[in-house]
Amino acid sequence: MAWDPEKDVIEVIRGPKEAGGAGGLYRAFGETLRGLKTTFGQLRMGVDTIQYPEEKIPVYPRFRGRHQLHRFEDSGLEKCVGCSLCAAACPSDCIRVVAAENTPEHRVSAGERYAAVYEINLSRCIFCGYCEVACPFDAITMGHDFELSDANRSDLIFTKEMLLAEPIERTPLRAEGE
Amino acid sequence: MPRPLEKLVSLTIDGNEVQAPEGMMLADAALKYGDVEIPVFCYDAKIGPPVGACRMCLVEIEGIPKMQAGCSVAVTDGMVVHTNTPTVKAAQEAVLEFILINHPLDCPVCDKGGECPLQDNAFGWGGGLSRFIEPKRHFEKPLALSPLIAIDRERCILCYRCVRFSQEVSEDDQLVLEERGADTFVTTFDAHPYVAPFSGNITELCPVGALTSRPYRFRARPWDIEQAGSVCTLCPAQCNVSFSVRDERVLRVMARDHEGVDDGWLCDKGRFAYQAIHVDERITEPMMRDGGELRPVTWDLAIESAAKLLSHAGANTGALVGGETTNEEGVLLTHLMRETLGSNDLDSRPGGALELELLRALNAPTLQASVPDLQYAHAVLVLDCEPVDDAPVLDLRLRKGVRHHGVKLLIGSSRPSALDQRAALSTRFAPGCGEAFAAALGAELAGQSSASLAAAAGADPDDVVALVAQLRDAGEEVVILWGERLTAGPRRNEGARALLNLADQLGLDGQDGGGLLEIPSGTNSRGLREVGVLPNASIGLADAATAGRDSQQIGEALAAGDLSAVILLHSDPLLDQPSSALWQRALGKASAVIAHAAFLTPAVREHANIVFPAESYAEKEGTVVHPDSRVQRLRRSIARQGETRAEWALLAELAAKIGNDPKALTCSMVSARIFEQVPFYAGLSLDLIGGVGVRWSEREAAASFPAAPAAPFALDAPPVAASPNGLLRLGSFRSIWASPEVEASPALAFLHPRQRVEMSAADAERLGISHGENVTVASNGDSVEGLAHIRASAPDGTVFLQTSIPGESAALLEGPLVEVKRA
Ligand code: SF4
Ligand code: SF4
Ligand code: SF4
Ligand code: SF4
Ligand code: FES
Repeated sequence: MAWDPEKDVIEVIRGPKEAGGAGGLYRAFGETLRGLKTTFGQLRMGVDTIQYPEEKIPVYPRFRGRHQLHRFEDSGLEKCVGCSLCAAACPSDCIRVVAAENTPEHRVSAGERYAAVYEINLSRCIFCGYCEVACPFDAITMGHDFELSDANRSDLIFTKEMLLAEPIERTPLRAEGE
Repeated sequence: MPRPLEKLVSLTIDGNEVQAPEGMMLADAALKYGDVEIPVFCYDAKIGPPVGACRMCLVEIEGIPKMQAGCSVAVTDGMVVHTNTPTVKAAQEAVLEFILINHPLDCPVCDKGGECPLQDNAFGWGGGLSRFIEPKRHFEKPLALSPLIAIDRERCILCYRCVRFSQEVSEDDQLVLEERGADTFVTTFDAHPYVAPFSGNITELCPVGALTSRPYRFRARPWDIEQAGSVCTLCPAQCNVSFSVRDERVLRVMARDHEGVDDGWLCDKGRFAYQAIHVDERITEPMMRDGGELRPVTWDLAIESAAKLLSHAGANTGALVGGETTNEEGVLLTHLMRETLGSNDLDSRPGGALELELLRALNAPTLQASVPDLQYAHAVLVLDCEPVDDAPVLDLRLRKGVRHHGVKLLIGSSRPSALDQRAALSTRFAPGCGEAFAAALGAELAGQSSASLAAAAGADPDDVVALVAQLRDAGEEVVILWGERLTAGPRRNEGARALLNLADQLGLDGQDGGGLLEIPSGTNSRGLREVGVLPNASIGLADAATAGRDSQQIGEALAAGDLSAVILLHSDPLLDQPSSALWQRALGKASAVIAHAAFLTPAVREHANIVFPAESYAEKEGTVVHPDSRVQRLRRSIARQGETRAEWALLAELAAKIGNDPKALTCSMVSARIFEQVPFYAGLSLDLIGGVGVRWSEREAAASFPAAPAAPFALDAPPVAASPNGLLRLGSFRSIWASPEVEASPALAFLHPRQRVEMSAADAERLGISHGENVTVASNGDSVEGLAHIRASAPDGTVFLQTSIPGESAALLEGPLVEVKRA
């Protein structure tokens, strides 16, 4: 069948066919004024902008930020025994643990084994906290730091030393009842 | 005893009608045919009959008032079984609670975690809570049961699996349980290290983390690794293995149970020598000799130079092919040699070629026994080989046959065998006199007098008569497990004829459940012969257009300057060939020695001009053929280490550079070509071979195997065994541990053998030698040093030395007689 170009013409409606009279006038100004009422009504609330990064919102205690690895306070040994359960639990597969054996001369953790390598690729982490839940020794917990941007992806692979180090206190914690 | 006939019975499991073979244990039948899992700890069909030690498998059977152990009850017709009633549930929970009373909460630090039957059973069938708050028993934490195995006695649940393995499967009788009750623990006598050829299997058997592999200790969790199935090519047994791979490294080797090949076991070489893949000593880049020393070079330069050397030598090139070569590499090498360089001088058999007719007769499909036949035959005759050294895992199969299926084991060998104690009769003959011994057996079977032949073999004539009587009485299913040794050496053709006559006397041709099973000298020897890596045969064991020189003649021709170049494909003639002296001269004279090797073994280190890195078996793809004619497939499991490249591709590239491109773009293309060109492989494909392999001799295409002359052959009188006359006869053997892989594996290095001189107590006393002393063994001016090893079972008048040990191999000596004295 031959194509008839006439048949394809679609009528495009760009506005009311006729000027609207009073209704048209209301549509032009009334609705605009109603919106402005809300805008001006908010003026008395004052300015609420937070001047990040100079100013920061405190986070809740259970906020899930950058991980920390822990040591025993008394002995200084690492709590992590390198069992890899966090790696098993991690849905984005971003934890890598390579275990090794403690010796009397070289004791790193309290158990038989320790994590010789413990890395979290924070550019893949979704901060779900499963690793914290999976850990049988509370060796890894989610901290509060969320300022993790970096100029280089590989710098976002956090090593054991980085995770064990005292975190930089840059995120205020919300106080009780705040 | 022949295979039991399978009779099906029907029973009801949890309300479902199930058909299962009579006599099968309920736990197996439920899982396999009823899709119902009955949890077990102590039971594993491959260890043998159940012992019912753990009670994890309790089920209710109608008509029996008390619960029964599902692992120990054989299915019978009309049996009605319940596996999930409240009673059963309560029993399972109670058993688990009981087992866990003393089990430590070690999972995070335990190597079994994640693949632990105790975890699985506790999760699937346990109650979830324990009422016990009392302290648990304590033992000293991990001890070294051996350099390879760690034992944590706290975790042991006393299932007896390891002890049963040691006592009933490998029969080394080393593991025992000491003390009673909760204090019981697994140990060896006097806490000696558990060193045995198959010890590693207990790490796989233990259902908890009590016995763990030390080389694998804390290396990875099950979710960190991938399992890659392939085949172990460290010996002709070609066990099916599964590599645990993490970050492109093999961290562990486990059995991939295959009833037709390995029965689910591995030897310690196969289990631990994977370490040699990742050691620094391994050659992982091409090297060239420069100023007397091998130095790394680029691939381009190495290939360019090799091509130049080879085209220069042209038809004056010889090639020795080692057993670890795949069929594909073998075929591409024959292309390089025959079609490209115009040389027919290539060989994969050490010590010289066998007449092609005889080779065909020995490999005829109707005459081949399978590995399971060893377990079900009426009688097995082990002839001139030592399974535990030559193809270790077959040793376990023979033991199983004797223990569980009443196989009558008969042994005829020169060196005392590890199987002697299990044998109905074990006879000795002088080293190298296998031919005379086989002829004596044949003559006696034919009703002729065997006395003179037995005397020529240096065997006791009465033993020969007794052995034949046993063979005659046993039944018609007889398997002769013979070593390549019988058909090597100067009288190899006569040896083959004597063996074929013997098989004929026993009516083995076409005998179901019986036949010949060769243990060749190299892993893939059978495959290499079938694809024509022989001087006198082309692909498919067809006649070669022009016969070339065999390995012995290649050596002589090199020494005489008739050949100028030699390719050593996975072969070190100083270790593999019978005469080191000849090959020292040959390699010294050769103007070009091109080696494909993974380690700097003596010939490579001293003589190679160009060395190409060889792939390890975990990096290789291709096919190999098991001695019982099963075509198996190697799959690449890890990335090639260092700069190693695929060897099939390298061989193809060399041929292309010299001007005859084999047009092989992928390895599977070469495999497909092999399946097309070997008439008796017709119709095979890589898919068909799959993970379990295919025995070509069982397929229809086997009918196109080239015709071979039929026995009986006329035999001439074999030479008489040299009589010691104050000297000693020289016998040689290759230890299971004599391999560069074992030497390079840190965990196994303690097993790598030093030369030891095995002799009888009487000889030692006569020569004034005591056990453990340094002795020198000399002949014709050559000598080898070693530690005296006095063996009660060693025959008088013979001394045994090992081959394949760098620098001190028995191949340095020339027999038949040697002089032994204190060093
Ligand atoms: S928070 Fe979640 S995604 Fe991130 S490391 Fe832990 S388990 Fe993985
Ligand atoms: S044996 Fe199994 S249950 Fe016991 S500690 Fe090890 S992983 Fe846990
Ligand atoms: S060590 Fe393992 S295999 Fe041996 S008895 Fe104990 S639990 Fe069983
Ligand atoms: S018996 Fe042979 S094939 Fe099997 S594991 Fe040992 S070395 Fe490998
Ligand atoms: S599995 Fe049946 S008693 Fe142990």
